[in-house]
Amino acid sequence: MSVPFSGAASVAGIGATEFSKESGRSELQLSAEATLAALTDAGLSPGDVDGLVTFTMDNTAEIALARELGMGELRFFSRISYGGGAACATLQQAAMAVATGMADVVVCYRGFNERSGQRFGQVQNWAAGQSNTNGLDNAWSYPSGLSTPAATVAMQARRYMHEYGATSRDFGAVAVADRRHASTNPAAWFHGKPITIEDHQSSRMIADPLRLLDCCQESDGAVAIVVTSTERARDLAAGAVPVLAAAQGSARDQFVMTSYYRDDIGIPEMGVVGRQLWAQSGLGPADIDTAVLYDHFTPYVLMQLEELGFCGPGEAPGFVADGAIELGGRLPVNTHGGQLGEAYIHGMNGINEAVRQLRGTSVNQVEGAAHVVVTAGTGVPTSGLVLGRDG
Amino acid sequence: MSDTHDWIMEQASLLRDRGETTPRPARDPVNQPQVHTWLEAIGDPNPVYRDTPEATEVHGGPVAPPAMAQVWTMYGLDPHRPADDPLHSMMQVMDEAGFTSVLGTNCDQTYDRYLRPGDHVTVTTRLESVVGPKRTGVGEGYFVTTRSTWRVGDEQVATMLFRVLKYKPGPRSSGPDPSSTVRPARNRDSEFFWEGTAVGELRIQRCNGCGALRHPPGPMCPHCHATDQGHVVSPGRGHVYSYVTHHAPQVPGKQLPLLLAVVELDEGVRMIGELRDGTGSRLEPLSGPDSGAVEIGTPVEVGFERIDDDLTLAVWRVVDGGSA
Amino acid sequence: MSTTAPQVEHQLPPWELPVTTTLVVSTALATRDFQDVHHDRDLAVQRGSKDIFLNILTTTGLVQRYVGEWAGHAALIRACELRLGAPAYPGDTLSFRGTVSEVLQVGVETRQVVDVVGSVSLGDHVTARVTVVLPAGAQA
Repeated sequence: MSVPFSGAASVAGIGATEFSKESGRSELQLSAEATLAALTDAGLSPGDVDGLVTFTMDNTAEIALARELGMGELRFFSRISYGGGAACATLQQAAMAVATGMADVVVCYRGFNERSGQRFGQVQNWAAGQSNTNGLDNAWSYPSGLSTPAATVAMQARRYMHEYGATSRDFGAVAVADRRHASTNPAAWFHGKPITIEDHQSSRMIADPLRLLDCCQESDGAVAIVVTSTERARDLAAGAVPVLAAAQGSARDQFVMTSYYRDDIGIPEMGVVGRQLWAQSGLGPADIDTAVLYDHFTPYVLMQLEELGFCGPGEAPGFVADGAIELGGRLPVNTHGGQLGEAYIHGMNGINEAVRQLRGTSVNQVEGAAHVVVTAGTGVPTSGLVLGRDG
Repeated sequence: MSDTHDWIMEQASLLRDRGETTPRPARDPVNQPQVHTWLEAIGDPNPVYRDTPEATEVHGGPVAPPAMAQVWTMYGLDPHRPADDPLHSMMQVMDEAGFTSVLGTNCDQTYDRYLRPGDHVTVTTRLESVVGPKRTGVGEGYFVTTRSTWRVGDEQVATMLFRVLKYKPGPRSSGPDPSSTVRPARNRDSEFFWEGTAVGELRIQRCNGCGALRHPPGPMCPHCHATDQGHVVSPGRGHVYSYVTHHAPQVPGKQLPLLLAVVELDEGVRMIGELRDGTGSRLEPLSGPDSGAVEIGTPVEVGFERIDDDLTLAVWRVVDGGSA
Repeated sequence: MSTTAPQVEHQLPPWELPVTTTLVVSTALATRDFQDVHHDRDLAVQRGSKDIFLNILTTTGLVQRYVGEWAGHAALIRACELRLGAPAYPGDTLSFRGTVSEVLQVGVETRQVVDVVGSVSLGDHVTARVTVVLPAGAQA
């Protein structure tokens, strides 16, 4: 089954800054540079833009970005919550706006100095101090000391290991695949630096069972993506990469990073996303040539493969074994190197890689890639996309 | 940044601008007795470092272990340092700024050729960088990096990048300050819980409409939609549903590594808390999932840790003999 | 590259070395490192340390002995990068493990990059990366 939304809007341009540990410039400048690059890629100018979408967490207001680039009138702006869970939903917003005629050209952007400025990997006192329901939710974990992303994920990872017999080496397979792909990607922070499973196993514990090499790096940088109608995109400089499906998801008894109170403390919210993606696109896991799965922490990649139906519950350790998620394997995952290998730009850099795969311009090109699934932040209400090759 | 930081960086910049020191000759030429002392202590059996046929075959005679490059120019017992030694000068700056402790973090050497008895090496050193302040596991400090080059005449034979952390001993030595514990946000929906821990009660919300138990609590029962909420006092027994050993980064008010668990209570609800041993003391770090001290299913019971007048936390004690 | 040369992910045989007071003191003197924390227990404790501990130059020497014994006497060590961690005190055991992580061609030389971890009971004492040239056709 497919709905009229599927394929109506397309990615027409992608842009990014370099990825670094210290950008040396403001977050506003990073987002302005990435947006300009994406518009140039599309063959459009800032004056063509009439919609902007970003993350609730982004520090750059739409109007500030519009001022820097000399944009004219805007008629659509929207923000998505829940940290990295917003990534694919920004494109969903843009595509819906375009499909319904609310806007013609929408730019999705995310830019931050996440390494040299505020680091998400540290204890976030502000998150517990918010005077809203998120702050109240965090009251049940932060005061006891469960207060970093790695530790909250480790709690789920330990349970997953217990239930399915998964091991740290299974998580390591994800890191090895990401770093192998990053090693041949000149834009990646870990370009030229592949790792072995032994490197993973000997890396220090951060939040046992998570080791250093299970955790993504922290990065400075920005990414921007231009969305317009498929019809219009076909006539633009870079052609059209149609949005075949776009979905958000939150599951029963959902929390941010601490959904520990429901029967399944995994990530059923990604199942909510997956079921919609397949229904909207009329595709299934077997139709996907390569996947970009949000990888701020390795265990979630395994859980996502299960939630999206690439394998059954508890089967991901077998699925990722023997290089199956590396280039040349049955489902190459994160061919740009992922957030572990390329950069952590809150998942937005992964969308760019999906677009490159479908244009045939990835440095780690999957031969004939026609359908790519992309996911957003895990452990939080999240989102996903299926992008396709035009025609 | 603070005045101290500015001063440190200014001094670093002055020392860096001095560039390389003048070449300082080794006390002695490379010599076989010193090599033999090294080989005995390190236990290195490699025959090329001795007068052997293998040494002749591979190197045309005995050579010194490459790692000894630095040995030839060690200062020895003489406490005096040349005035231009940049590492020594920078250490004095850091001491003066209150960063009194030192920890070697990196030592990267390259070897252009193996040295032979009779080679007389000189060394030059320059200050490469001073980076900080950084918060580290041992305290706040600066990474000081120097680069040394060994030469025989004009020929470069070895190089070394050497990095130390010069730091102020931090929370690890003085212990964490519990008053810096992150405070829970509270409101009228959750206040009863914190009032309970303050008097040594573990309270679970109970719906006065349908009797359902719930944690974390909320204002409306998801089952019957009643807004009349009470609570029960739990005996505080349950088991470990999952757990994690947090090693990094630092957590305000806590000593690392920190053992944390999701506990499933006998009543069926789950809560997050720190795991303690049977006496309520900190559990020592677990080496891995099979360490035996704690595992999924280990029975636990509640204890209370008073932080101050405003906050008491529930903690979870492993019940003796429970992990069998 | 010779067919008998080590491949990436080749594992070195593990090596366990008991750390004794004699080892710490004799190597400190052999490396001409006279800092008191490497030979004077009272002063080491006074400075906040548990005991005397191994000096860095010795760690460098031990890592190169470990790789050297595997590589054979004709091998040449070109570089040795050390990241230092937990101190090695007398009474502990220093356990070395090594893996060939990379094979590089630099001019005519084939260089093996060996990743070494030396751990003690407190954690990793040293993480090292040693670049070594094996003679052509060497068995390792």
